[in-house]
Amino acid sequence: MTNSNPFLIHAQDQVVVKNPDEKSWVFEVGKNGNLWVDFLQMTDDLDVLVSLQGEAAKCKINCAYLTNKNNNLNINIKVLHKHKKTTSEQYIRGIVTDESAVSFKGIIEIPKSSQKCDGRQHHRGLILSPKAKIEATPQLEIWADDVICSHGSAVGPLDQNQMFYLQTRGIPENEARKILLSSFLGDLMPDEFSDTIQKWMDENA
Amino acid sequence: MAALLEIKNLHAKVGNKEILKGLNLVIEAGEVHAIMGPNGCGKSTLSAVITGHPSYVVTEGKVLFKGKDLLKMTPDERANAGVFLAFQHPIELPGVGLAQFLKTALNAKRKFEGKESMDAVAFMKYMNVRATALGISNEMLKRPVNVGFSGGEKKRLETFQMAMLEPDFCILDEMDSGLDVDALKVVGQGVSVMRDAKRSFMIITHHDDLLQYVKPDKVSIMRDGVIIKTAGAELVKEVEASGYDKF
Ligand SMILES: Nc1ncnc2c1ncn2[C@@H]1O[C@H](COP(=O)(O)OP(=O)(O)OP(=O)(O)O)[C@@H](O)[C@H]1O
Ligand SMILES: [Mg+2]
Repeated sequence: MTNSNPFLIHAQDQVVVKNPDEKSWVFEVGKNGNLWVDFLQMTDDLDVLVSLQGEAAKCKINCAYLTNKNNNLNINIKVLHKHKKTTSEQYIRGIVTDESAVSFKGIIEIPKSSQKCDGRQHHRGLILSPKAKIEATPQLEIWADDVICSHGSAVGPLDQNQMFYLQTRGIPENEARKILLSSFLGDLMPDEFSDTIQKWMDENA
Repeated sequence: MAALLEIKNLHAKVGNKEILKGLNLVIEAGEVHAIMGPNGCGKSTLSAVITGHPSYVVTEGKVLFKGKDLLKMTPDERANAGVFLAFQHPIELPGVGLAQFLKTALNAKRKFEGKESMDAVAFMKYMNVRATALGISNEMLKRPVNVGFSGGEKKRLETFQMAMLEPDFCILDEMDSGLDVDALKVVGQGVSVMRDAKRSFMIITHHDDLLQYVKPDKVSIMRDGVIIKTAGAELVKEVEASGYDKF
């Protein structure tokens, strides 16, 4: 059996990890600390709080969601830049099909005292069926003025012209869809999750 | 013998707008047929309809390819039956490497024909000969399909894909637009070496640049969704000299 909500912690220097229940994570990153974690959500909610609480602490959160049937997921990721000169990156990509629904909420909070921070959050979602839904609410709470912050969210169906182009080269529809779906996820997820992702693609593309 | 492509009274629309309005066209096996016509007359629409783009709805008429009803086939079935379109505006596929893409396409065709997949080594050989002939570097083969390529490079890559897939019927939609003299020569020669007694070309163009390399057997003038005149290669000169208004 493949785990349907795997995670992988790549780096945790100066990090205190709390995992009060299966769906919730709190990471406290200390001075010069570094956190890099990947999540793949297929059936369960996810609630992540990263608190960057020492100078120059940094984090990278990669999250992919792949949902089908009538699964309904809430994914909340919050990065709190508690200290100055902290940096964060969040990359979230998801594919929903059937009647599944995902509500994604991503928060970057930079209090007034946390100058020279850099916070990034990018979300992209693909909707494969008319009854599937993605609701994305990126939220920026930036109170400091000397910071770099970028965020973006784009949700839509597969590009019909890309599908057509692949098909005009003789590639059948479901194979074309698989090609576009894997290129959509790109290398966001680690090799450790490949089998799980491949299986999902085979069953849902 | 039946024509390779036979289009009868073709009507097609996009949204509520009728673009093809009763178009007739016959292309024989081995024929090079140029289509010329003013901007917006429906040339690209015709190629989209022949290849099965879902945005274009056929409301009337027939398209027969090798005697079979093309309109009943999916775009990939049409491709595997031998239809190829070199796009006027090739589509970018971020994250999809060109070589891998072509291997998938080639093996899809082989599967369709009941042949075994080509293995990695055989494929590399097959690809490298064709890439070299069209000046496609190794670096280009590794990049994602059409992403970040110049307009002229994209056209060269379309020609390369055509050489890889060896289709029976090649539609070139403004292959010669935006090419510099050297690229035109490469593309022109690339197309001309593929010309043979069985393979046909439909070359959509506004000038005789590409046609100098691939002399057409026939030239048709298209206006407002229909073919209004078909004649020999001499028609190209007439169009170049005095435009479309006299037709
Ligand atoms: N997807 C579309 N949506 C709306 N209108 C379209 C669409 N595709 C084509 N058209 C319209 O149909 C007409 C024919 O377009 P088409 O691209 O076939 O012309 P063309 O002959 O290829 O022109 P050009 O020489 O400029 O390439 C144009 O008026 C164009 O605006
Ligand atoms: Mg056109």
